[in-house]
Amino acid sequence: MAPHPISEPVVKKDHDLKMSGRALYAADHYPEGLLFAAALRSPHARARILKVTPPELPPGHIYADHRDIPGPNEIPIVNCDTPVLAVDAVQYVGEPILVMAGPDERAVRKLLSRVRVDYEVLEPELDVKTAGTTYCDYNFGRGDVDKAMAEADKTYDEEFETFYQEQAYIEPQGLVVRWEEGKIIARGSMQCPYYVHEALVHAFALPEDKVRVVQDVTGGGFGGKEDFPSNLACLAALCAMKAGGRPVGLFLGRAEDMECSTKRHPSVSRYRAAVKNGRLTALDIDVVFNAGAYTTLTGVVLLRGVASCVGVYKVDNLRVRGRGVKTNTVPCGAYRGFGAPQTVFAVEMFMGHIAGDLGLDPLDFKIAHLAAQGDLTSTSGRYHHPVPLPAMIEDAVKNSGYREKRELCKRQDGRLRRGVGLSLWFHGAGFAGTGERDFIKARVRLVKSADGRVEALASNTDIGQGLKTTFAKIVAHELGIPLDRVTACSPDTDRCPNSGPTVASRSIMTVGELFRRAAVKLREGWADGVEQVFEDDYVQPDYIIPYDYDRCRGDAYATYSWAACVVELEVDLLTGVHRVLGVWGCFDAGTPVDRTILTGQMEGGLLQGIGYSSMEQMKYDRAGRIRNKTFSDYLIPTAMDVPLIKVTLHVEKFPEGPYGAKGAGELPLPGVPAAYLSALEQAMGGIPVRHAPFSAEETLAAVMEAGK
Amino acid sequence: MVSGLHPRRLNEALAAMADPGVIALAGGTDLMVGETETERRFLYLHNVREMRGLRETPDHLVVGAATTFTEVLESPLAPPLLKEAVSGVASPAVRNAGTVGGNVANGSPKADSALVLMVVDAVLLIASARGERLLPVADFYLGGKKVDLASDELIVEIRLPKSRLAPHYYCKVGGRRALAISRLSFAGLFRQERGRIRHLAAAFGAVTDVIFRDRCLESMLVGLEIPEAKKLRQDFLAAYGAALVPTSGRVSKEYRRSVALNLLGDFLTVFGV
Ligand SMILES: Cc1cc2nc3c(=O)[nH]c(=O)nc-3n(C[C@H](O)[C@H](O)[C@H](O)COP(=O)(O)OP(=O)(O)OC[C@H]3O[C@@H](n4cnc5c(N)ncnc54)[C@H](O)[C@@H]3O)c2cc1C
Repeated sequence: MAPHPISEPVVKKDHDLKMSGRALYAADHYPEGLLFAAALRSPHARARILKVTPPELPPGHIYADHRDIPGPNEIPIVNCDTPVLAVDAVQYVGEPILVMAGPDERAVRKLLSRVRVDYEVLEPELDVKTAGTTYCDYNFGRGDVDKAMAEADKTYDEEFETFYQEQAYIEPQGLVVRWEEGKIIARGSMQCPYYVHEALVHAFALPEDKVRVVQDVTGGGFGGKEDFPSNLACLAALCAMKAGGRPVGLFLGRAEDMECSTKRHPSVSRYRAAVKNGRLTALDIDVVFNAGAYTTLTGVVLLRGVASCVGVYKVDNLRVRGRGVKTNTVPCGAYRGFGAPQTVFAVEMFMGHIAGDLGLDPLDFKIAHLAAQGDLTSTSGRYHHPVPLPAMIEDAVKNSGYREKRELCKRQDGRLRRGVGLSLWFHGAGFAGTGERDFIKARVRLVKSADGRVEALASNTDIGQGLKTTFAKIVAHELGIPLDRVTACSPDTDRCPNSGPTVASRSIMTVGELFRRAAVKLREGWADGVEQVFEDDYVQPDYIIPYDYDRCRGDAYATYSWAACVVELEVDLLTGVHRVLGVWGCFDAGTPVDRTILTGQMEGGLLQGIGYSSMEQMKYDRAGRIRNKTFSDYLIPTAMDVPLIKVTLHVEKFPEGPYGAKGAGELPLPGVPAAYLSALEQAMGGIPVRHAPFSAEETLAAVMEAGK
Repeated sequence: MVSGLHPRRLNEALAAMADPGVIALAGGTDLMVGETETERRFLYLHNVREMRGLRETPDHLVVGAATTFTEVLESPLAPPLLKEAVSGVASPAVRNAGTVGGNVANGSPKADSALVLMVVDAVLLIASARGERLLPVADFYLGGKKVDLASDELIVEIRLPKSRLAPHYYCKVGGRRALAISRLSFAGLFRQERGRIRHLAAAFGAVTDVIFRDRCLESMLVGLEIPEAKKLRQDFLAAYGAALVPTSGRVSKEYRRSVALNLLGDFLTVFGV
């Protein structure tokens, strides 16, 4: 099949701006009279606030605490339990208590250090296994798990654990807010302008048209700028409210950002399985995500976690429990993969371990259990579209030499040992459940000017993933006009309809399709020499099995993107250090709207997956503090850490996506740790790995222990 | 911008250093990481002719203190061990700016080129307007990041005795393959003549507060024939095991100890002991 013409790569719309260094990020704007705001944050994981004594305020400085908030002291995310500012208690290290602003950032920080807070320090809850508060508890399944367990030839029972992952976007969080004639204008680094809009409307008790949010050029997000900018915007707006029209900037330094912004949820998953006649007959899965102090996005992150917990396999008897548990730690949030990386890691390792015990190659055991079109998903929805994994596996296996290498690595000696591992996964494309129809109700708008230029208006943000280019490509292609006649703007809530957040790998698949359909309308109604406006709204496809949120039943996703990945690595038995030799990824995200952009997304996500497998170590200590909050303590892979990444694209067109495109952004990451760590298992001579990331230090301890 | 002085000759630089308000800046790759707003004036060393480049004397290889890592890598004079260690420093950009002198002066036990200087018994030429002195690099480190350098002194050059440049073993353990500070590093030198060990040196970086070297332990094997040394191998390793008391940091002390002993053992194995 010939590739679709839209896949032909183009120069990105913002290429020149960014490559020339002229792109202005939130902290690059120095509007006249800018004041700098900073928050006083809790040093304790759990404490009562007894008394706050601010220092005397020098002229030109602003002080604000929860009493200044005009509306409810709440940040609406999914629920409203996150306060803008702490009132009489703090729940995690880094929780904001009050905020100050002034013309000099250092002076503001010095002033903050002179605020006296009397705390009654309390014992924090830090262990998910013993913590007392459960924020969400999902239970679902099918068949008869107990019976299958009772009748099994053999049962398996393992526990898997994952830790934090920090998004490590290159531009720290930051915004500038001003009040202008009773209206808040906020601009900055963000993924979801309408989330920030909603938060400001809520906390400041304003009508919707009295809040305007504009996205600035944003230096990466990866989920980290989904909900968190709402917190910062409220803090900056509180100061701006008292600033007499002067703009107030709130820019986090790297350490503050790493300490108090969201990260990937740590998880503990217990997997039990029944096997009869060499076949998997039942899975009993209990997943616990560490939510942190407030609910924030945990409910939805966990939903994706449990929806992915069976991996790409077919199983008749299934019991799943998923809980999001409160601890006195920084609230976790979105990070590329959104709950899936934790469970995909667990199920892929588990399948590999069972295969090993049965004397089979993990790949053969996995292939024997692959789900196919029409089969039930974990939540008893359906795989409505073809499952292209067999062809993709063949591709990844051939490119990587998986089978030969796996065989060769069985016999080796010497200081350096190699291993090769493979993993398979899907990524549910778009919003979970019927969220698109029920909550998001996306709308896009095309504005054609009299001279025939077209502007594409939506609230989805280009955060480096190329959306300005790909949206424009879709519209230009459908209209049959040159790409330079179409622009996709940076969202501005005063001008752009709400097409939903830039999350869930939904922008191209869902919003891109709305643009395509709006472009069809424009093409059909095109009139020269006049301005024209066309809109399009989301309609749910007919085939969807409605998702029941209480019972976790139905289609969790409209369709699925697919991945097969092989990692080959080498371990130094003297030091425990790993070296990645090659990564081969075969990805199906439907029709690429731009092959170069899509390949870039896949490579970047693979690299983040490699970090999550190995060097990206972040935990909290016994006081609930994150100690490594700089880039010299929290290491992410460099180009030197991956000598070879080979991405191939498989195209299984999605009939409801633009030209067949489906969710791509999050696809490359979730399964990497399983491929990496099964390669590590093989290199270590079969020592099982049950947590990610797995450090050089742990590797050395494991091989030395085994060698005794 | 910070104001600065740009001397071209050593005597000008030393005269300027007499002012306690002046601080030496070579590549700035350590200095600029810390507080950049300072009342002190920077004395830029990169133009000081006497402090630049590599040269040879009959007995020594001399490295100017303000020689950058990149220059070391590009020099045909630089010994392979020094090149190997320097090639593992940071990234090309940092290597273009960072200097060998700065690496020593910062007093860190994690300094990768300093490890080499320790294992080859390098000698520092230190000067001030008051005069100059020669100091073995081992004596330069006073413990806990303190170094034997007065506020008006500069390290001018570093002399590597040619007699010490023996076949080597080197390994750096970092958290990743570039831009990674050593979590442990090891350099060993070994020379034998007709089956008898003539020289053995072993230095460990990032284990304790100063680069670790113990000449007394090294001498256990020096002068022995290989088969005799083999018999003492276990005792030798055990003695290091007892002497090395690592600190914990980004990795645990147990890890540091295991890796240090593994590498020491491998060093012996590679040289047939
Ligand atoms: C991102 C990054 C990665 C790094 N990775 C590594 C690494 O992998 N391995 C490693 O060893 N180091 C590493 N470093 C540290 C640093 O690059 C080295 O220590 C380098 O050698 C410092 O040299 P410099 O010339 O830049 O020193 P400067 O910053 O200029 O000076 C450092 C100190 O030494 C003093 N000084 C400098 N020259 C002299 C002199 N001739 N006489 C007296 N005093 C002097 C200065 O006053 C200052 O106190 C890294 C640094 C960064 C920023």
